[in-house]
This record gives sequence, structure tokens and C-alpha cells, in this order.
Amino acid sequence: MKKIPLHIRIFIGMLLGILLGIISIVFHLGPFITNWIKPFGTIFINLLKLIAIPLILVSLISGVSNLKDISKLSRIGGKTMALYLITTVIAIAIGLIAVNTIKPGNFLSKEKQVELSSKYAQDANLKVSDAQKLKQSGPLQVIVDIVPDNIFGSMGSNRNMLQVIFFSILFGIALIMVPEAKGIPVKNFFDGVNEVILKIVDIVMHYAPVGVLALLTALMVDFAGDDPKQALELFSALGVYAFTVLLSLALMILLVYPLAMRLFTHISYKQFLKAIMPAQIMAFSTSSSAATLPVTMECVEKNLGVKEEVSSFVLPLGATINMDGTSIHQAVTAVFIAQAFGHDLTLVDQLTIILTATLSSIGAAAVPSAGLITLVIVLGAIGVSPEGLALIIAIDRPLDMCRTIVNITGDAVVTSMVATTENGFQKVEPLN
Amino acid sequence: MKKMPLYGKILIGMGLGLIWGLSADSLGLMEFTINWIKPWGTIFINSLKLIAIPLILFSLIDGISNLSDVSKLSRIGGRTIALYLATTVIAVTIGLLLVNVIRPGKFLSPEKREELSRTFAADLDTKLTTARDLKDDGPLQILIDIVPDNIFGSLGNNTNMLQVIFFAILFGIAMIMAKPEKVKPVKSFFDGANEVVLKIVDMIMRFAPIGVFSLLASLNIDMQLMTALGVYSLNVVLGLAVMVFITYPLILKFFTRLPYLKFMKGILPAQVLAFSTSSSAATLPVTIDCAEKRLGISEEVSSFVLPLGATINMDGTSIHQGVSAVFIAQAFGLDLTLGQQLTILMTAVLSSIGAAAVPGAGIIMLIIVLEAVGIDPTGLALILAVDRPLDMLRTVVNVTGDSTVASVIASGEGELQTVSDVPKP
Repeated sequence: MKKIPLHIRIFIGMLLGILLGIISIVFHLGPFITNWIKPFGTIFINLLKLIAIPLILVSLISGVSNLKDISKLSRIGGKTMALYLITTVIAIAIGLIAVNTIKPGNFLSKEKQVELSSKYAQDANLKVSDAQKLKQSGPLQVIVDIVPDNIFGSMGSNRNMLQVIFFSILFGIALIMVPEAKGIPVKNFFDGVNEVILKIVDIVMHYAPVGVLALLTALMVDFAGDDPKQALELFSALGVYAFTVLLSLALMILLVYPLAMRLFTHISYKQFLKAIMPAQIMAFSTSSSAATLPVTMECVEKNLGVKEEVSSFVLPLGATINMDGTSIHQAVTAVFIAQAFGHDLTLVDQLTIILTATLSSIGAAAVPSAGLITLVIVLGAIGVSPEGLALIIAIDRPLDMCRTIVNITGDAVVTSMVATTENGFQKVEPLN
Repeated sequence: MKKMPLYGKILIGMGLGLIWGLSADSLGLMEFTINWIKPWGTIFINSLKLIAIPLILFSLIDGISNLSDVSKLSRIGGRTIALYLATTVIAVTIGLLLVNVIRPGKFLSPEKREELSRTFAADLDTKLTTARDLKDDGPLQILIDIVPDNIFGSLGNNTNMLQVIFFAILFGIAMIMAKPEKVKPVKSFFDGANEVVLKIVDMIMRFAPIGVFSLLASLNIDMQLMTALGVYSLNVVLGLAVMVFITYPLILKFFTRLPYLKFMKGILPAQVLAFSTSSSAATLPVTIDCAEKRLGISEEVSSFVLPLGATINMDGTSIHQGVSAVFIAQAFGLDLTLGQQLTILMTAVLSSIGAAAVPGAGIIMLIIVLEAVGIDPTGLALILAVDRPLDMLRTVVNVTGDSTVASVIASGEGELQTVSDVPKP
């Protein structure tokens, strides 16, 4: 049992969950599932929510305060940061356009949306009164709301993610500005806590197979009641959602990256893809840009001929702060869950998604499933109940594998672009 | 005045408070007492509640993350923790059984109980509605409630102690698993913060004589209450006696070849010191000395098992938790369900892991237990009067329990044969 890799165990959990779901629908075991199985799913979601605020707080403080080293270390630091931010924003925009066009959430019937919203989004009523309040407030209320008047109050509720992000950035910048001798103990503390929180993510993910099983079963029972046909509606909506994510990822790889390569470098895209193929395969099987990093570096240096001085700086930074695939997934998923709950997202909401998804991709670490936790942050920021995660969590792992490919491909593209402007190429043997 | 030990001052505060409380009514000083004396008692209780969450958070994170050495000594470590947990569970169970049989709270008349619950449990109505809400939840809701969805939310509210404990354990385990060089600053920070919190407890305890005086003076004591408190104290003492004279001898008989008389003789000095200081931590050097020199336990075992025990193993305190929680509930006229009694068991065991080995920590743990079962913690005022002498007695049991476990571990390692007889004192 110990030897089976985690993602396989999660898949087993998924399959068993579907199986148990079908059995309980057919044999009318609904109450039993709700009483004895569903709680373990709720615990899993609680655990993800539990980590969200500490993760964003600590990782952003630690991340922002590290930027000092970056700008000091290398004059290409600014360029790299800008490129990473731009590709992330493009990725989120593509995801948003795709999900707003396809509308996977609307594959659920209106009655189902209402039912789901009442089941999972307990604070739906709150949301309505919030919306009414919004109408009475001025146009700049959005900005006013970002600045907390009490940070402990903001951290005590999962709905004030933007306020926590604001405070973390403020704190991180202040940490850069204080004299080094005074700032270092604080920085070391936050770096350490960051490490600890990543380990907690690890521990929580070990529980994922059980959580996924419970959530999937409970979702099917909740959704279908005793009617197996309704389970099909659920799966078709989830299928369209997965398709939307994959389509956006494909657009990124087949359209955006080739365009960027053509405009800013002299490498042909075909040659580029061939060169980083080993890293992509590795990314797919580990779902972790961090674990893939050594392979990515080797591909970029040996196969593309990027000098080590560029790759050794740009790639590790990218593995931490550049997550194009994950950002696409955040955008699509946030909107999908909102659609499934029958919420209409305003333009401001969608801009909030871009903002939170970009910022949290800076904070989130390069470990498997960190995306699920940053998703809690994005959902909290737009006021959609994070319980909606239950809808998509079950099929998260396969999508995680695909989006990690896009993450590392994006890193490699930016590396090539930076290398071109810096004269950072050396001759290499052409690939066969 | 400076030279007088703290417990002496507390005893004096108690005595004066008792006299004041008995005479205030007849002297027409009730209003003065409520306006000008009672607040100091409330401040004392507030400061105890104030320190409860930081104490649990820091001492548990610190305690668990220190266990990295335990995994090295995993054989001894696993056994030690299992034994400590087992004895604590036994202790709480004994306490609960006795208090449910003797029912000291029933020595109060129904009118008195009603009056008390009006005074102390003002928010009984909300508690009742919460209780009704609870009935609608599934059977596993307890498990869900242990896992917080926002730790800062849990930290901001004294009713979520189990969630704080859960998070602290998770955080401590993650600290053991993370890279040591990265975690070092975090560990030093929590070590330091833990130290600071213990100092705060010290400072609060210095205020204890005044606090105890005010609490007792405003209690409006009457003889009926005194009878009930007497029965309650007897109940605690009986529980402690069962532990020392039945449970520990049985454990020693089953797992070691050490005669109980020899064992008791060996650790007597530690027990005497525990009684006078009410602190297993302060007693620790003497306990280790007794274990090594008089029982023949190797330093390897004693230097690991006993300090750990001083932190996480508190059998006497756990008995007291069980008895007191149920007594206060009885005094308020609340009937505790089996589920609530199990919650008491669980919270008492878990918080005894977290509570530090200093005098007064037991009261804070009791707040945790009371809030976990939904009893107004101001009910503590009822038992504070007799807490100090009981604290002295239960520390004796705490230290005896630690030594018992140390003997069992040492016996499992093939020790205890080297010292042929206890040297004559």
C-alpha cells in the first residue's frame, strides 16, 4: 500500500467513489452516505480551506521579500518578472474567455443550479444582501474593501482574501525596506513557516484519496437522489468543464507560446517542443514543476543551448511564481462553480479573479495540488462559497497533470525569450 | 511579605475571601462587594482565559516538534506515549465514574441550583438552542467540528479549543517533517514564545491571591454550598486515591517486578516536593534523581520519559478535570449526555498533552473542557475555593504516574535489577 504513488491512489479513490455512488443511488443508501461518508469529504474541504489563509499570508510575505535578492542578483530579474506576470495574465484571460463562451455550468438545469446553491453555498443569502449594499456604495468601494481595517479580523474569515493579500504584500515590501540586520530574523521565521505549511499541504494530500472518494460519492448521491439518470447530467457538465480547461491549455501551448517564440526569438517552435519534451513528460507524471525542475533545466541548457547563467536564474523562479496552466485552471474553475450555483459574475468579479489568481500564483508553491488551495482564495475573493470545490475536486488530479505541462512549457518559453535578448545562447548539437 | 511562598498567600486570600463572603450579607456589604470586589475576580478569570489559547498553541507546537528525538528513540518513544495516553484515559474514566455515582452537585437543593445557574449561566438559552441545533447534525459532526476551516477564526474564539489543538498538532508534525535548517528559526520562535507564555502564567498566578479573595468574597457562600464543595473535594481525593492505591500497583505488578512498597518509598521525596510546589516541572529534577538513584532506572530512560511525562502526562489533573466538569454541570442543573461525557474524556486527555507543567495550568485546561461541553466557565468560581489543596494532591498523582510509566519502560528495557535495595534514608 505504501509503494503505490499518490496519484494512483487518488485515481483509485475516484473510481471507488463513483462505484459507491452508483451502488448507493441504485440501492437508496442516501442517508447512510450523508451520515457516515460525506463528513470525511467535508473534513477534506475544511483542511484545504484551513491552509489557504496561512499559505497565502506566509508565502506572499516570503515571496515578496525574496524579490530583493532577485533584483540584486541579476539585472535580468525585472525583465523575467515582467514576462512571467504577462504570460500569467494572458493565461487567465484565455481561461476566462473560454469559460464565459462555453458556459459549462449551464449544462446543469436551472433547478439543479438552485438546488446545488442551496446545498453547498450556505451563504448565498449573504451574497444577495452584499450585492444590494454594493449598489448603494460608490464606484471606488471595491478599492476601499481591499484595504482591511483590522488584519486579524480579515484573517479570521475566508471571505476577505484580497485584504489578506494586500496586507501580505504591504508587509513583504516593508520587510525589504527595513535594515537587513533587523529584517532577517523575521524573514527567516516566515521562510520557515512557509516550509512548514508546504509540509502540511503534503500531509493533507495524503488524505486526498479518502477525501476524493467521500466527496465524489456524496456529490453523486446529493445530486442524483435516487435517479441514476441525473448523475449523467452531472457528469456531462463536469465533462464540458474538463474540456474547457483542456481547450484553454491547448490554446496556450498551440497559439500563445508559438506566437511569443516567433516574435521574440529565432527558435522554431517545433524544435523548441522537441527539446523540452522530456520535461513535459516528467511534469505530466509528477504534477509538480518543482520536481520537474532539474529535467527542465537540463532540456533548456543541453537541447536549446541556453546558457546556465540565464537558465539557473529564470527557471527556478518560474517554477515558483509562473504557473500559466494553474492560472487558466483557476479562472475556468472559479467561473464554472459560480455558474453551477447560478451566480452571475460581474465584470468586477472577473477582474478580481484575474487579480487574485495572478497574485496567488506568485505565492503558491510548485507542489501538486497547491492549485486547489489557491482556488479557495479565488473563490473567497469573489464571494462564491468554497464548498463548491466539492464539485470539481474529484477530477482535479488529471487536470493537474495537464496544467503542470503548461506551467513548465511557459517557464521554458520565457527562458528562451530572456536568453534571446541577453545573448544567452550557445551552440548545441541539433536534435535528431 | 516578599518571603512568603505563593501558595501561602493564596491560602490567606482564600481564608479572607471566605470570611468576607460569609459576613458580607449580614453586614449589608453585598452591593459594595458586587461593585468593588467582584470585578477583580472577573479580571482574574479573564486573564486565565486570555492565556489559555496561546498556552495550548505554543506548548503543543513546541512539545510535538521536540518529538523529533522521539522518532529516533522510536521504540521507547512509541511505548511511552501509548502508556501515558492509556493512564490518562484511565484516570479521566475513574474521575467520571466516581462523580456520576456520588453526584456531589446534587447536594445542592434545586432552588440553589437554579439560583446558581441564573447567576453564572446567563446564556443558558443560547446553549440550549445550540444543543438543539446539534441534534440535527449527523453523527460524525464532532469529527468535522475538530477540523477548522480557518485557524485565525478558531484562535479568535475560546470555544474552539479542539480546533486549535488539531492545528497545533498538524503544525508540529509538519515541523518535524520539514527541512531542519529551514525550520530552525520557527522552532526558536515557538520555544521563545512558549517561555514567554509560561512567564505570563507566572505573573497571573501572582495576582491569584487577590483574584481568589474576590471570587470567594463575591460568592455569597452559604453552608449548603460548603457541604457540596466538601463532597466534591472528597470525590476528587477518592479518585486520586483509587489511582495511587489501585491502578498504579496493578500496572507495576503486571509489567514490572518492582514491589509497590519499594516504588513508593523510592519516589517519596519527589511526592513531598510535588505536594508543596504543585508543579511537576519544578519537581522534575527531584523525580529524575529518585528514579535513577533509588529505583535504578537508567539515565537514558529517565531523562527522556520523565520530562516528557511532566509535559504530557497528568493523571491527577485529568481526574480533577473529569470530576470538576461534571460537578459544575450538576451544580447548574445540567444533565450531561454520554456524548458530552466522551467529549470531556477527549478534551481532558488532549489538553493534558498541551498544558504545561506549571501550577494553575489545570484551571485553564478546565476552561477548555467546560467550553467544549458548553458549560459557562464562570462556574469555575464554585470550585476555585478548594482548588489549591486539590492541586497539591493531584500533582502528587501526576508525578507518581510519570514514575510508574518510567518504571514500566525501564523494566521493558531489562533494567531495574541493578539496585538491590532502597538505601536507607
